[in-house]
Amino acid sequence: MTDFLSPTGFSAASHLVLVIAAPLVGAVVAWLLRARGLPAVRQSAAVTAIVTLALAAWLVLRFLAAPPPPGAAFAAIDAPWLTGGVFDVRLSLGLDGLSLWMFGLSALLSVTAVFVSWQAITDRPVGFYVLLLVLEAAMLGVFAARDVILFYVFFEFTLVPLFFLIGIWGHEERRKAAAKFFVYTLAGSLLTFLGLLVIVLWNASQSGVVTFDIQGLTDSLAAHPLPMSAAGGWLQMVVFLALLAGFAVKVPIVPVHTWLPLAHVEAPTGGSVDLAGVLLKIGIYGFLRFSLPMLPEATAVAAPWLFGLGALGIVYGALVALVQTDLKRLVAYSSVSHMGYVVMGLFALTPVAVEGANLQLVNHGLASAGLFALVGMIYERFHTRSIPNLGGVAAKAPWLAAMFVLFTFSSIGLPGLNGFVGEFMILAGSFQRAWSGVAPAWQTFYLAMSLCGVAGVVLGAWYMLWAVERVLFGPSREPPRGAAQSHAVGHGGHASHGVHGGHVGPGDLAHAGHGHEAPVERCDLAWHEWAALAPLAVFVLWIGLVPATFLAPVSPAVRAAATDSAAAFAARMDALQPPAQVARIP
Amino acid sequence: MPDLDPTSLLVLVPALPLAGAVVTVLLGRLLGRHAHWPALLSIGAAAVVAVSLLVGLAREVLVTESTTHGPAAITAYERIVPLWQWASVSDAYAPAAGTPAAAAGEDLAARAADRPNSLPLTLGVDLRFDPLTAVMLAVITCVGLLVAVYSIGYMHGDPGYPRFFALVAAFVFSMSMLVAASNFLLVYVFWEAVGACSYLLIGFWFSKPEAARAAKKAFLVNRVGDFGLAVAVFLLWMTYGTLNFHDTTLVDTAPLPGILGQLRLADASAVVGGAVGTAICLLLLLAACGKSAQLPLHVWLPDAMEGPTPASALIHAATMVTAGIYLIARCAPLFVGCPGALTAVSVVGATTALVAALIGTMQNDLKRVLAYSTISQLGYMFASLGTGTLLGFTAAIFHLVTHAFFKALLFLGAGSVMHSMGGVIDMRRFGGLRRIMPVTAATFLVGSLALAGVAPFAGFFSKDEILATLHAKGWPDAHGTHGSGHHADGHAGGGSSPYRLASVTPTAAEIAAGRPLPETVGLDALDAPGTWRVLFWMSLVTAGLTAFYTFRAVFMTFTGPTRVPDEAGHHAHESPPVMTLPLVILAVASAVAGWWLFATHLLADFLAKTPSLATPVIAATAAPHAFHWDLAIQGSLAAAFGIVVAAFGHLGRRSDGPQMERFLGPLGTLFANRFYLDQIEAALVVRPLQVLAGLAAAFDRYAIDGLVDFVGRIPVALGAIVRRSQSGLLQRYAVGGALGALLLIAALWWRLTG
Repeated sequence: MTDFLSPTGFSAASHLVLVIAAPLVGAVVAWLLRARGLPAVRQSAAVTAIVTLALAAWLVLRFLAAPPPPGAAFAAIDAPWLTGGVFDVRLSLGLDGLSLWMFGLSALLSVTAVFVSWQAITDRPVGFYVLLLVLEAAMLGVFAARDVILFYVFFEFTLVPLFFLIGIWGHEERRKAAAKFFVYTLAGSLLTFLGLLVIVLWNASQSGVVTFDIQGLTDSLAAHPLPMSAAGGWLQMVVFLALLAGFAVKVPIVPVHTWLPLAHVEAPTGGSVDLAGVLLKIGIYGFLRFSLPMLPEATAVAAPWLFGLGALGIVYGALVALVQTDLKRLVAYSSVSHMGYVVMGLFALTPVAVEGANLQLVNHGLASAGLFALVGMIYERFHTRSIPNLGGVAAKAPWLAAMFVLFTFSSIGLPGLNGFVGEFMILAGSFQRAWSGVAPAWQTFYLAMSLCGVAGVVLGAWYMLWAVERVLFGPSREPPRGAAQSHAVGHGGHASHGVHGGHVGPGDLAHAGHGHEAPVERCDLAWHEWAALAPLAVFVLWIGLVPATFLAPVSPAVRAAATDSAAAFAARMDALQPPAQVARIP
Repeated sequence: MPDLDPTSLLVLVPALPLAGAVVTVLLGRLLGRHAHWPALLSIGAAAVVAVSLLVGLAREVLVTESTTHGPAAITAYERIVPLWQWASVSDAYAPAAGTPAAAAGEDLAARAADRPNSLPLTLGVDLRFDPLTAVMLAVITCVGLLVAVYSIGYMHGDPGYPRFFALVAAFVFSMSMLVAASNFLLVYVFWEAVGACSYLLIGFWFSKPEAARAAKKAFLVNRVGDFGLAVAVFLLWMTYGTLNFHDTTLVDTAPLPGILGQLRLADASAVVGGAVGTAICLLLLLAACGKSAQLPLHVWLPDAMEGPTPASALIHAATMVTAGIYLIARCAPLFVGCPGALTAVSVVGATTALVAALIGTMQNDLKRVLAYSTISQLGYMFASLGTGTLLGFTAAIFHLVTHAFFKALLFLGAGSVMHSMGGVIDMRRFGGLRRIMPVTAATFLVGSLALAGVAPFAGFFSKDEILATLHAKGWPDAHGTHGSGHHADGHAGGGSSPYRLASVTPTAAEIAAGRPLPETVGLDALDAPGTWRVLFWMSLVTAGLTAFYTFRAVFMTFTGPTRVPDEAGHHAHESPPVMTLPLVILAVASAVAGWWLFATHLLADFLAKTPSLATPVIAATAAPHAFHWDLAIQGSLAAAFGIVVAAFGHLGRRSDGPQMERFLGPLGTLFANRFYLDQIEAALVVRPLQVLAGLAAAFDRYAIDGLVDFVGRIPVALGAIVRRSQSGLLQRYAVGGALGALLLIAALWWRLTG
């Protein structure tokens, strides 16, 4: 039935390599076209991103048609790379359930990143688009890598293009932001690298085989776990903390999040889209790929604390977002808050919560990328991101406002849209953990943290709807592109005029300028802005309405990743006290 | 239509308005002035389907009853219409056999699988059809249709004309799904979806800052209620292992009883009571308070009047705000197991009814009078639900139905006035409008008589039933005498009234047979006759106040010398037929529906076949159909008193005088300022959170980020020190390198020997 997806002579492995190589080829093409100026460069970048997306989507369909069994990879390719003696670093690529959606999301958001930069980037466009495409290749590579060293190379390689994207094409404080972003995440990820090396060395010392293969390490470590006792120097815990250092900064988990708002506010929109949509997820992906399956006992010890940090991060991020006056900073803090849900779900270690967290990665990627893109569009029109200076955008750009409301609803977890699915599953799984999965001594803590998570749903709606009210609704505050100030006064007069006077809608405002020197121009979404937002909107709806499409294919892999940690957690709770017997009626 | 298969038709009720909404969104600009057609036709068709389904079901259910007698007649009717699987996360962690993970961690994984936290999450998009759903669907679609027709006139010429009809159709879709959903997840989904439609309709004229603010407020206050619903859903899932209302059969396992399924409802002890049950019910009550605007979450509804009046009529009077009543009625079996929580429903309801009525007496904005009246009437319904008797539940739904008609009528009438007065809705600025707009005045009067509970208009009968059910709880003996003969319930215990929830408390024989005493919580003490007597008197006073504020509004608006505000210009006129026709239809319904439904007892008998209300515990409280002359007289006297006082104050006078304020003094100020509840809640909840947010932001900036920057400066400072070592002298580097190598060797030596 699905044979047409896999033509002979085009193996899945070469397909995968092609997807990762395509942006690099596109980058070269863009560079070659540098003399033709901006239009040629951005068109080539757009074509590259779209072709890559099409290829990636095709690959995803091939995956869905023939999903690999747990523990195996789809489209696996394996070639020697840095190989000599016992040392065997390999170019090993492949997709599995953990990486599938993030791989697809990377390709999807790259299209968005190109189209939101369409008008915004006129200064040195060649460098910008080349870096953007290199960043895409790096993101795709991170999720496809099946070798520890290769993963780390891609992991670090995502930093470099973004560093330059922020540092060169960013806003006023771009240098400070770029430096802070780079140093902070690099410092963390160096510790992660050390931790990964210790895992490899420990495994070599125990099994006698030096392997950098992630799946091989996972399987092998199940038989030779890192010591988790005083006698073994708590090595497993130490390694867990080392990995945590890099992953926690990347996510970011409160309190190591402060690089994020700065980086987002200063980054160009395209950079923000990739940063919020994909790069933050690498931290969670790292937990799922390394910490949970390889270090289950340490994960079990750390889980309550990270669960709590996630829950507190939700409330904390939401509270800080509540007083932001910079729209982009507000969205950035909403990212901090929403990634708290993912952390919470991951470390609740129940099937429902972990699968919810995995889906929420995609959901947050879509919603935050959409919101950052829209903030960029508002900035391009009104040259400000200051919430008090904005207002009445809906009158001038009704479709832009409609999309903003859609992504806001997605972000605040309105049912029927994607954000709800993830939040619901995470919170349900957290309550499940609190109710019957922890020793009584921990129960109050877990219940309180779960309630914090639900309270975040209320706070999240508060700051987002406040922003919507102030920016989109109300009388027009900031005339677009220097239109005369008198229009704003003209609109004010409508407010007190009863029913029909009160029917101030888009049309009224559009006509308010008639008779004056220049009518207030409509500045609704341009075609390239639609191209940036519409694909995201489709998935926002699709995941919300039929989440099973996205949950079922990856469920075995996500489940397998968390199994050992969940079991270790259960054993730890049993050791603390016999499991709570809660009356349950079948 | 005896062979009517609701399975296929039920889907049409939500699906048609959804299609209407989508078409309007896509073609709205193209259709222009005709943008109402998709919504109108789809809602109209949905109404036809809903009504024919209702009629078909009523015939099927009621005919079955008349042919069979005895206990067998007490059967519940439900049909489930599964649509698609929403999400399914199956059992606990168990690695696939044969994988290395399975081999290595087998015992750990096995232990994980044994644990009670291995709940499958299997959620389907399943619709249900039963009497309660049928009634709700008919009300929603019929009122929706009338409002859509009315809106053609009211919204004429508005720049957002297509958007309005798209939202109305989307709302009808969401609301239909809410009452047809057959699991708690879907209820939550559409609970929020109707909230989103409400948000977008309140903020319809988004350029008005008040409208934008009111929309946000409505959403946020509702979110607080949603918080309760979300936690309740999680607790239900923990407690019952499913979220379905109906019983399901999992593949190759035993049937899984739904939370409100017939398997569970047959056995009262299968419903969780005690602390957990009470917590669930109180959280559901919190949710209902948000959506149905009960104290203390009522503050959003008066502000919601910033939206277009037809939206107010449909969403904020007739349908959406009744979702809380629907939810509690649907969850009746859960509530009757928790007497404390059940009584809390009545306490909240009766208190809200009284407080809102008091506030309503002092409002000068016609729509706000009606808004507080809605809050108050919803409070009545809550008070009725909380009695936990079959009559209580059916009376609440009865009042819901009649209220939907007469309150929609009143709102549309107010809209007609507003339309004519150029947007002015302050009753002090106009008067004597009966001469200008006779149809509006006449229909408004009918609606007011129904609201005030004057016989034989609709509100009289439904209110009478509510008073009766409260009275029966307060004075059980008085009712026990004239209510015991009819039903054949065995274990109602000697001498106790049928209104008592006899079967919740096991009899001595049942205890001997091993049935445990239900767990009780402190709150259960609330369920005492004394409480119910207070609630009854509060409701009676509310009845008087209702009549007063309603007729105060009638007199101020329609009697006295004719006055028209300047905004109306010279074109103050009766509204066009497209607006007055729905008024007339609703007026007829308000006039006769109550009497008809009461006299035939059709609605109550029909609703009693809903699975939730047909459980033995509730069915045991069935009382004979009776008209309570004593209560009817008390209620009518209260209403008459209210009308007389209103007439004394306002009939035929200029309506801009501060009569009532003078009369009531400081109390009047208190009422006029809505008991300062908005300010109190702002001071107790909003302000502290804002302060906390400010503190958090400062902490984030200065403490956390300050620390990061501080750490960031350490390498710079260190570098300044270390820089001195970079002297450029080769021999120093050589010595340094040698020292380093030595250190490494020493470490290795120590490691190898030690």
